[in-house]
Amino acid sequence: MLAFIARRLVFGFATVLGVLLVLFVLFFAVTDPDQVARRAVGERASPETYEAWKRNHGYDKPLLINRTHGAATLARYTDTLLVEHYRRMLSFDFGRSDADDAPIWQRIKEGIGPSLSLTVPLFLLGLVVGIALSLFVAFFRETYIDRSVLVLCMLGMSIASLIYIIGGQYLIGKLLRWFPISGFDPNPAVILRFLAIPVLVGVLAEFGGTVRLYRTVFLEEANRDYVRTARAKGAGEVRVMVAHVLRNALLPILTNVVLAIPFLFIGSILFESFFGIPGLGALTVEAINGNDFSTLRTMVYIGALLFIAGQILTDISYSMADPRVRLGQGVQS
Amino acid sequence: MSWIGNLVAVALVLGALLLWRRARRSRLWREALTALRRRRPIALTVVGVFVLIALMDTVAWTGGGGAEGVAASKPRSVLDRIFSPETFREKSYSAPFARTEFIGGAALTFPRRHPLGTDLLGDDVLYKTLKGVKVALLIGGLTCLVLIPLALLFGVSSGYFGGRIDDVVFFVMSTLASIPNLLLLIALIMALGKGTLQVCFALGITGWVGLSRITRAETLKLRELEYVQAARALGVSNLKILSQHILPNLAHLVIITFALLFTGLVLSETILSYLGIGLDGSWGRMIDQARNELSRDPIIWWNIAAASTALFVLVLCVNLIADALRDILDPRTLNERK
Amino acid sequence: MFRTMSRLRIGTVAFALVLVACTNDPYPGADRTAKVYYTSFSLAPKSLDPAVAYNVAAHAVTANVHDTLLEYHYLARPYRLIPGLASAIPKPVTLPDGRIQYVFQIRKGLLFHDDAAFALAGKDASGEPKRTREVIAADFAFELMRIADPAVGSPVVRKFAAIAGFLEFRKRLRVLRAGDKSFAKLPAHRQYARAGGVPGLKVDGNYTLRLILTRADPQILYWFALPFTTPVPWEAVQYYDGKGGRPHFQDHPVGTGPYRMSVYDKQFRMVLVKSPNWYGARHPEWKAPAATFPSRAEIARMAPGRIDPVYAGRALPFIARIEFRREKESIPRFNKFLQGYFDRSGIIKESFDQMVQNDALSPKMAKRGIKLEKTVEASIFYVGFNMLDKTVGAAAGERSRKLRQAMSLAIDVKEHLRLFANGRGVAAHAPIPPGLFGYDAKYKNPYRGFDLKRAKALLVAAGYKNGIDPATGKPLRLTFDTGNTQAQAMLRYQYFVNAWRRIGLDVEVKATNYNQFLQKLKVGAYQIYFTGWIADFPDPENFLFLLETSSGRKVSGGSNYSNFTDPEYDALYKRMRALPNGTERRETIRSMLAILERERPWIELYHDEDYTLIQPWLRNARSFGLSYPTLKYLDIVPGQRAQLRTQWNQPVVWPAWILLGLIAAFVLPGIATFFRERQ
Repeated sequence: MLAFIARRLVFGFATVLGVLLVLFVLFFAVTDPDQVARRAVGERASPETYEAWKRNHGYDKPLLINRTHGAATLARYTDTLLVEHYRRMLSFDFGRSDADDAPIWQRIKEGIGPSLSLTVPLFLLGLVVGIALSLFVAFFRETYIDRSVLVLCMLGMSIASLIYIIGGQYLIGKLLRWFPISGFDPNPAVILRFLAIPVLVGVLAEFGGTVRLYRTVFLEEANRDYVRTARAKGAGEVRVMVAHVLRNALLPILTNVVLAIPFLFIGSILFESFFGIPGLGALTVEAINGNDFSTLRTMVYIGALLFIAGQILTDISYSMADPRVRLGQGVQS
Repeated sequence: MSWIGNLVAVALVLGALLLWRRARRSRLWREALTALRRRRPIALTVVGVFVLIALMDTVAWTGGGGAEGVAASKPRSVLDRIFSPETFREKSYSAPFARTEFIGGAALTFPRRHPLGTDLLGDDVLYKTLKGVKVALLIGGLTCLVLIPLALLFGVSSGYFGGRIDDVVFFVMSTLASIPNLLLLIALIMALGKGTLQVCFALGITGWVGLSRITRAETLKLRELEYVQAARALGVSNLKILSQHILPNLAHLVIITFALLFTGLVLSETILSYLGIGLDGSWGRMIDQARNELSRDPIIWWNIAAASTALFVLVLCVNLIADALRDILDPRTLNERK
Repeated sequence: MFRTMSRLRIGTVAFALVLVACTNDPYPGADRTAKVYYTSFSLAPKSLDPAVAYNVAAHAVTANVHDTLLEYHYLARPYRLIPGLASAIPKPVTLPDGRIQYVFQIRKGLLFHDDAAFALAGKDASGEPKRTREVIAADFAFELMRIADPAVGSPVVRKFAAIAGFLEFRKRLRVLRAGDKSFAKLPAHRQYARAGGVPGLKVDGNYTLRLILTRADPQILYWFALPFTTPVPWEAVQYYDGKGGRPHFQDHPVGTGPYRMSVYDKQFRMVLVKSPNWYGARHPEWKAPAATFPSRAEIARMAPGRIDPVYAGRALPFIARIEFRREKESIPRFNKFLQGYFDRSGIIKESFDQMVQNDALSPKMAKRGIKLEKTVEASIFYVGFNMLDKTVGAAAGERSRKLRQAMSLAIDVKEHLRLFANGRGVAAHAPIPPGLFGYDAKYKNPYRGFDLKRAKALLVAAGYKNGIDPATGKPLRLTFDTGNTQAQAMLRYQYFVNAWRRIGLDVEVKATNYNQFLQKLKVGAYQIYFTGWIADFPDPENFLFLLETSSGRKVSGGSNYSNFTDPEYDALYKRMRALPNGTERRETIRSMLAILERERPWIELYHDEDYTLIQPWLRNARSFGLSYPTLKYLDIVPGQRAQLRTQWNQPVVWPAWILLGLIAAFVLPGIATFFRERQ
């Protein structure tokens, strides 16, 4: 068991190094630090300001080989952007934003709260609604309820999430005036009303895909032998569905769902941007619009870290349940 | 550079015909195609029409009258020639089939001739929507053209050869899969620039991992089949085994995944357009440009409605086809037929 | 069954809760009776350092948190300077050696806002660390030296170049820092002292500031009405260095103004509250011009019927708190205004026809009590040519001149404004906007009409018959460069492209990201661009400098993006700059405009017109046209606001019931049948 965990951790760490390499190529090898400096400081500043800025933000060293050091010294290869990049990212020293000099850690700390306050209710509600609805539909399989819901799901899956958001804002915010169209206030007295439209729209946008998926899982489960036995023994249909099917089908559903948990932390780019929620997703959009490479780098890195951590946890917990997995390469879908 | 477009169009048509001939030779595929035609005739027709429109927009040449000035010096496709967008335009917004301008009420140059109205600059919305078909198919098709061979290459080789290759490929896949898709996409586009090729390339790179995993798993299963093991024991070259036994049996997976990927790609392009890094002329761009107009009173709905509906119809039809294909090509039913 | 029932119960309760929480008010209920002003900002300010802040969002804060020596009269048009922290507007005096001197007398007894930084100033009478201190002349000099400081990175250094020794001081600092590491570690004010200060900035005692200029520069007084020249305490600059958990000075302004910052969450909320240290609040008896509402006579003369005379002569400010909320998207922002959650707003393009009909407020809006204010902004928006380019620039001589003139005649500005600004805006014939000296409403630039025939004829004369480039046999290819890829901007550029197509020119829009655009500007690799300029102060020099050689983009990184250079224009500019407003100045300006008319480095498009909607409970709102602090003059009537908000925001609940009903009707028969069959 321990060997398995150790192996998984080592592999995870290697993946992290790989991710950092990809980031290095994208953000350092392909972009010009002079331009980034000009964009940040403005165009009318003096050359020293640019040099100082580049030094502060870690853009002043050469990429791979630092020729200012002697040929045989270690510093020739370690006093470079590549090594700096690895050192800083692995020690979680994210530095300052390229766009406005704010410490990135600070922005992340500020952004996690709003992001979570949106993604967690969305996730939970989506899960509950998805499971309840698909269970309901599986219960009434082959009836007109089942078929019409399937059609609705198919239609729902084909609408772009952008349309859902625009429509939802218009309908609920403007026409019906139920909740504010956008905005955010962490004050617990008012926070619910800001989350109402994004959560509703979010659940609506994804219910098509999830209901179809879960329905299939439930139906497969419902056709198993032990369920037929239970029915033959005289158990009521509702009890069968809830006590047997739901309980057993929940495991594969939840495994899929658990993989999505790490992403709850990085927020939703689209939703936060449209609804004015100042979370990590909005931070990412600003980084895109402002050519803020350091923040973008950090967000991608954190997203990857969370995903890898989530995978490792899932693998370990699965292996504790199913010994066959330990011998293979982990949970693969 | 219009000859590239023409070449691509010809190549696509020829390629499709070749595949068709090859498929008809196998009884399996013939039956699958008939079943598909029976179950989803409307969706197939619609997709067919879309492909036709896209082809009409790809075949282009310069000259040949019907336009003057700058327009005459550029290659114009069949679609362009039908619509003559330089002359068939108004000053600004007009409602579908309207006789007067939307703002101000002046008489139109072509009253009652715009079925979907005109946009802010006076371009015919139907024309722009039809132009968007090619872009959508390009996003889905071109990207998949990059993505599928890449995924197959990695997936099959790592599944078939195993060992070191498997480890390396698995590592690369894990690395790329760990980075959240949208973020990696954005990072790639910001680093590479905003052209059509770059966006398709970026979409391809972020999308191949899923298919690769599936093909790898399937290849592992196929490798253990008796006749494959026999072929290896007999010393048949790996290439022959791959091309005759492994790849054809992956075809159903590829097709289904292609259909699913296609819709996912087209939908994610709308998000990219919102972020400002989408493709020119795409429906996502149209939606982004027009979304503010919904707040006008009286409302201007026709341009966003046209783009959203076209998008919806395409995605729905491909989804329906993919769904049907998944049932038809289900290995269990396939094996029963065998 | 049990599980289902309890789930049903939970569901109903949750739904009921949601209904109860149903309201679209984004503010906490406690603020309903407070005198709070709500406004929005779309881009977070980059820096609140007064020496650096140069964008609209930052100005919205700094202009209210800082005072300046001079200010503008709130109601007077054309704009008029009044004394602010200075007791009078200084007049220029020529010294025996030919240099010009201005003497500012500073009011006594001015205090900075309370701030922890003043602990550095020592202890007060009761032994506690000081929380504030008096403003002295040295604080003004300190800020001016900060502007000169290369490490601060102020964008307006060159505007003060006329001060004796200003630029040399900048060089000295640079040299001293490079040569001596220990010097570079000293706090800023000590470095300035060691470097000898600026000879042209003299501090006589605590309340006199003397400015000595090497040449006449009448416009320099305007810079003393902008936050760049506000007094800055050295304690704040030293204390707020970003270390030890303290914010950076650029995120923590310390000023003397009527408001101080209490919340700075720049990603979504900024709050300003009344400062008790402000001289207007502490000494209303001074009747200081910048702390007192204009008199009854002035109101009657300058803004009859728009301002309630009950405010005449009263001490400022009236509003207790200002809340800035981040709103990136224009439509939700405007909708919130319509719902009563913002107090003032522009009009978005999409709703214009609903708000304004026949050039006046629509009856529906007027019924609500909303007011409309129209002002022509002191701005110019134009399409520019890069004069260094070999096809469209000066090198091609008469040929490119005619090309530029032709392209100038092909754009129909009226149509452009109709499409992109609902017809708002004044068509521009010259760089100088209305309201400024040198603007001539009767002047019609012969190349700023819309005349396709003449444009085509000019193309023929230029050798580009029908737009065809004889070198290639195809339409002449030009590029339009931009760093802005937003959807609305691209539509605008497409309009220009379509216009030039009509005379046969093939212009391609090359949109890149902003970084690459800056790079293009740096190396001069662009042909045509679109941009605008909003006045810093109401003098024609602030527009005409945009075409002067030393402001050239390639030459000095300045704002002359066209890299326009003409020795005659430059000579006239130098003369115009030093002249007072009068006939000679007008004639000089006219000659300069004649050069521009002929050479066409710009296609002047329009001066922006600002339509502002004002809520009925907002008093004393007057559009200003320059980016300028006016919040201290405003007043709110909270009772009226609360009442109208409730009236305007009744939620529409019946669709929810209908939806529920439909779902029930759909599902119940199925359930009923199912249970019946089981029996």
